[in-house]
Amino acid sequence: MENASVDVNQPHSMGTTIIGVTYNGGVVLAADSRTSTGMYVANRASDKITQLTDNVYVCRSGSAADSQIVSDYVRYFLHQHTIQLGQPATVKVAANLARLLSYNNKDRLQTGLIVGGWDKYEGGKIYGIPLGGTVLEQPFAIGGSGSTYLYGFFDQAWKEGMTQEEAEKLVVTAVSLAIARDGASGGVVRTVTINKDGATRKFYPCDSLQLWHEELEPVNSLLDVMSASSPVPMVS
Amino acid sequence: MSIFEYNGSALVAMVGKNCFAIASDRRFGVQLQTIATDFQRIYKIHEKLFIGLSGLATDTQTLHQRLMFRHKLYELREDRDMKPETFASLVSAMLYEKRLVTSICSLTVFGPYLCQPVIAGLGDDDKPFICTMDSIGAKELAKDFVVSGTASESLYGACEAMYKPDMGPEELFETISQALLSSVDRDCLSGWGGHVYVVTPTEVTERILKGRMD
Amino acid sequence: MENGSCNETFNVFLALHRPLSIHSNRSTCLFLNMDGVILGADTRATEGPIVADKNCEKIHYMAPNIYCCGAGTAADTEAVTDMVSSQLKLHRYHTGRESRVVTSLTLLKSHLFSYQGHVSAALVLGGVDVTGPHLHTIYPHGSTDTLPYATMGSGSLAAMAMFESKYREGMSKDEGIKLVAEAILSGVFNDLGSGSNVDICVITKGNTEYLRNHLSPNPRTYPQKGYSFSKKTEVLLTKITPLREIVQVIEGGEAMEE
Repeated sequence: MENASVDVNQPHSMGTTIIGVTYNGGVVLAADSRTSTGMYVANRASDKITQLTDNVYVCRSGSAADSQIVSDYVRYFLHQHTIQLGQPATVKVAANLARLLSYNNKDRLQTGLIVGGWDKYEGGKIYGIPLGGTVLEQPFAIGGSGSTYLYGFFDQAWKEGMTQEEAEKLVVTAVSLAIARDGASGGVVRTVTINKDGATRKFYPCDSLQLWHEELEPVNSLLDVMSASSPVPMVS
Repeated sequence: MSIFEYNGSALVAMVGKNCFAIASDRRFGVQLQTIATDFQRIYKIHEKLFIGLSGLATDTQTLHQRLMFRHKLYELREDRDMKPETFASLVSAMLYEKRLVTSICSLTVFGPYLCQPVIAGLGDDDKPFICTMDSIGAKELAKDFVVSGTASESLYGACEAMYKPDMGPEELFETISQALLSSVDRDCLSGWGGHVYVVTPTEVTERILKGRMD
Repeated sequence: MENGSCNETFNVFLALHRPLSIHSNRSTCLFLNMDGVILGADTRATEGPIVADKNCEKIHYMAPNIYCCGAGTAADTEAVTDMVSSQLKLHRYHTGRESRVVTSLTLLKSHLFSYQGHVSAALVLGGVDVTGPHLHTIYPHGSTDTLPYATMGSGSLAAMAMFESKYREGMSKDEGIKLVAEAILSGVFNDLGSGSNVDICVITKGNTEYLRNHLSPNPRTYPQKGYSFSKKTEVLLTKITPLREIVQVIEGGEAMEE
């Protein structure tokens, strides 16, 4: 197959940037929105932050099929657990269920997850669950192909005890930086903020993001440029 | 060489006005060596229903035996012949059963039947039905003609040019025979004459054709 | 001809299977004013470089309110949609309620996931249920997406180009049909794996319209008279078997006495 780069039968994978950050009072999860098969962007508006319960969400990376199945199972188990317990499940339980599935099936799964949420016992918590099925409780976690560009940035920019606004600004900046450098990440930035008052979703379209390096201003459509009365040449 | 080309075969079925014809070559070979020149690839299921099986001869015969078995059971249970549409679904289901390779203790590896069937029959109201499938049972229904086997590429061309709608049994016989014979002449792995069935509501005419013997 | 270089890699396994026919398909959907879904597909089936079927059906029935376009290996798309549609029917008998699109989605994805991509069916699932219109794509490995417009198959890039430039929110039914047909046509003419006619399926609340061969942009353009053969075929042997007469049962005769 000479043209494997646009082959739809290739596994769907999410070359991704996903982030989870704790702040003073809760957590913020963030992700880009690109899903690709080889070189083709199969979905430019995907939602990689999946709800598990009212107070726990998960960021998915790696194989789309594997991460969907794992999060579907975790959601199913958590709902069962919530009914048996008679009260909301904790973030730790959610992370542990995700870990069990990832660890027990590690030879068959290609997925890295970041579980984040808030519960009344421990407050906001972030758990990273990388490929082999370990759980790491972390003050912040980054994942996906875009994360390699962000380690240094986070070492410098992350502070203990940030406010919600500071944390949200940090993750949006971080994802937009990764989008600028990583070809497998792109589209928009989606965030979910979880604290004692519940979860709030936010959405940052690509033209609202800061521009880095030599990036060009986004243009509404190439067709608009070309049909304009005095078309601006693409290469000057 | 693909395993489908091991024995060599050519199969074609055509629809005429209230009739159909199904034809095959008569060669049975092992790669380029001809073993037999009176081989049967078309099997009668009942008076108005025929199936031609191209591909690997061993699988062809096994599949035919299983199909006869299933059709006899159907006759006993239902006290009637199978409709061509029903039979096509049966063949499709039997082929798809073996779609996936299953390995048990890394020993038993089962693949599909390595053959490509052509089904032709007359329905209840004497409406002709033809259909072909790939080796895993994807049905392809056609209004005009269907082909399969190693000579399928040249058969496609010949039929596409020679076929016309609403032919009578005699004209249909001439067309399918000419298409078959001219196609197998361009295929090393099939030939040695032809076997043609023309089925009308009142009679089945079976003819053996003379062809090149090289 | 070795294992055909079809524009869709389906020889996931069994490279010896030359005759796996492939549907190259693009299927698409739009929400019309948030009350309906339109599916579209071309009608070409291929076997390697050969056009195996010039007018096949790629929009499969799932439930009266749900249809599904299939690309990939023909036998797989057919088998998987048939299987799930029968499960859905049983589920409707069980619950007495209309099937939901998410139910079909879950059944399809769990089947495909369990075969780890070996069942190569790439599907676009569309329908309207009690929760509104839905459009999903399902990949052979079992991952799913939810989108306002989607394309699949070898012609998906050509079709997606049309959508990306012309899709607007809240289009009317006629605008929607026109755009979907245009997207399919761009595949028919620009992608070698797609061709022949355009099938459309419009699903709105309480109504489904299946427009088989909505457009036929590629009719045969030369007269088809067939040949007259100057030299007749040489027949070595002829055997004519008359078929048994169908016995007609005449009702109303006198009953036989014992």
